[in-house]
Amino acid sequence: MFGYVRTAPDHLSQQEQQNFAGMYCGLCHTLGRRYGAVSRMILNYDLTFLAILLSGGEECRCEKHRCVVHPFCGRACAQPTAALELAADYSVILTWWQMQDGIADSGFFRGLKYRLATVLLRKAYRKAKALQPKFDERTCHQLQELAELEHQQCASMDQAADTFARLLAAAAEEGVADPTRRRVLTQLLYHLGRWVYLIDAADDLKRDYADGSYNPLLYRFAHDHGVLTAEQQAELGRTLDLSIRQMAAAYELLDFGIWSNVICSVVYEGLYAVGTAVLNGTFHRRSKKREK
Amino acid sequence: MRDPYQVLGVSSTASDEEIKKAYRNLARKYHPDNYHDNPLADLAQERMKEINEAYETIQNQRKGKTTAGPGGPGGYGAGYGAGYGAYDPWGQQTYGGGQGSSPAMHRVRVAIRQGDLNMADELLNANKEQSAEWFFLKGIICHRRGWMDEAVRYMRTAVQMDPNDPEYRRGLDMVEGRQEAYRPEGFGGGFTGTCADDSCARICGALLCCQMMGGGYICCI
Repeated sequence: MFGYVRTAPDHLSQQEQQNFAGMYCGLCHTLGRRYGAVSRMILNYDLTFLAILLSGGEECRCEKHRCVVHPFCGRACAQPTAALELAADYSVILTWWQMQDGIADSGFFRGLKYRLATVLLRKAYRKAKALQPKFDERTCHQLQELAELEHQQCASMDQAADTFARLLAAAAEEGVADPTRRRVLTQLLYHLGRWVYLIDAADDLKRDYADGSYNPLLYRFAHDHGVLTAEQQAELGRTLDLSIRQMAAAYELLDFGIWSNVICSVVYEGLYAVGTAVLNGTFHRRSKKREK
Repeated sequence: MRDPYQVLGVSSTASDEEIKKAYRNLARKYHPDNYHDNPLADLAQERMKEINEAYETIQNQRKGKTTAGPGGPGGYGAGYGAGYGAYDPWGQQTYGGGQGSSPAMHRVRVAIRQGDLNMADELLNANKEQSAEWFFLKGIICHRRGWMDEAVRYMRTAVQMDPNDPEYRRGLDMVEGRQEAYRPEGFGGGFTGTCADDSCARICGALLCCQMMGGGYICCI
């Protein structure tokens, strides 16, 4: 997962923002407890959002915990639940396979960071695989399919995005017991996966063009050295919007309890804002550091 | 049956006007247009039914207590209810047509109606005909699967080949997402723009990020 999901804090109360922050810290601590300190490095908002979607929506109990990042005053941190543990397992597996994909995709030097990361994460991955063998199998299968598409230089962005979308949808299929909830979440996560994959492809377009990596958008659009025309961007924007609308339509069919407004702000505003920023070229994953 | 006030999300002491407003908002949310050709359409339809029943129950209850004067509640349930009651994306009114379509295409339509997309796709791929209808049905299958970009491309081809067919034009409007989608109050825009004005920059700048979380460096590796 890549870290593109954002809420729209303007639409959230103080309490809701705290809940989200608590979930973020809760996932971090759960990862740490289950998989060791190194695994906490994989944390991002996409995975936090996954944890929120998988949780039932009941009140989350927060307790103050200190950690390396907040050594003095500590942070309110969601207490472990089955959903958080599940999200932690999935997070490790998803990130592991994403790294494998990164190694296969990149040249030796660009692949080095992925290689280093897999060395650090190997133990955690083995444990997650043992806990969630079915999900691991599906992830592995989807990634193989993606590699095959990359090899064929597939020009269909839907087909390429489908592999990642199905992978996220599997998180609901494997992890949610109630049939209606599972059905709705499968649809929501499918389109979240599609959106994340495509937004990542849009974000990496220039870089992928420069070093010759596979990117479906390079084959889908007649681009100019990895730059899309305004019209092509609008076309891409429209297809992203369609996925966000599907997510919103799915969201409205379930009760997400305390998370309702958080998810609402993501599917009605946050994702649109991120999409706009990515297409404008003003979105920087790492800009957070500079803002601090 | 659930408490009708709870279904509409209002208190039992709410005024008629408030109830009507809540009902309208929910009816807009679960309107067939928002779930057109959506794999979850049946759930939305159920929800709509529940809302209509709740609204009707409240209306009847209140009428029983007080005689509803002029300007009181009424007349609304019928309007929205009827809209959904007839809703069937694969019924005779929408996409059911295909008059004059070949038996092969008819089989594809049946498979789609039954929700067997793999079968429908196989049947299409086996057919070398590639008429406007072929592209139209391919577009419908892609849309159902969530392959939005392909859906638009197939549907455009169908419309180009047969610009006068209203069914294909409706299909294109649908896959391009031209219908107004529901948005909760207070949320504007609703599209991924390519604008570079201040309002965008402001939202993006305000995105809930690490200032609040204090975890800027725990990003994705």
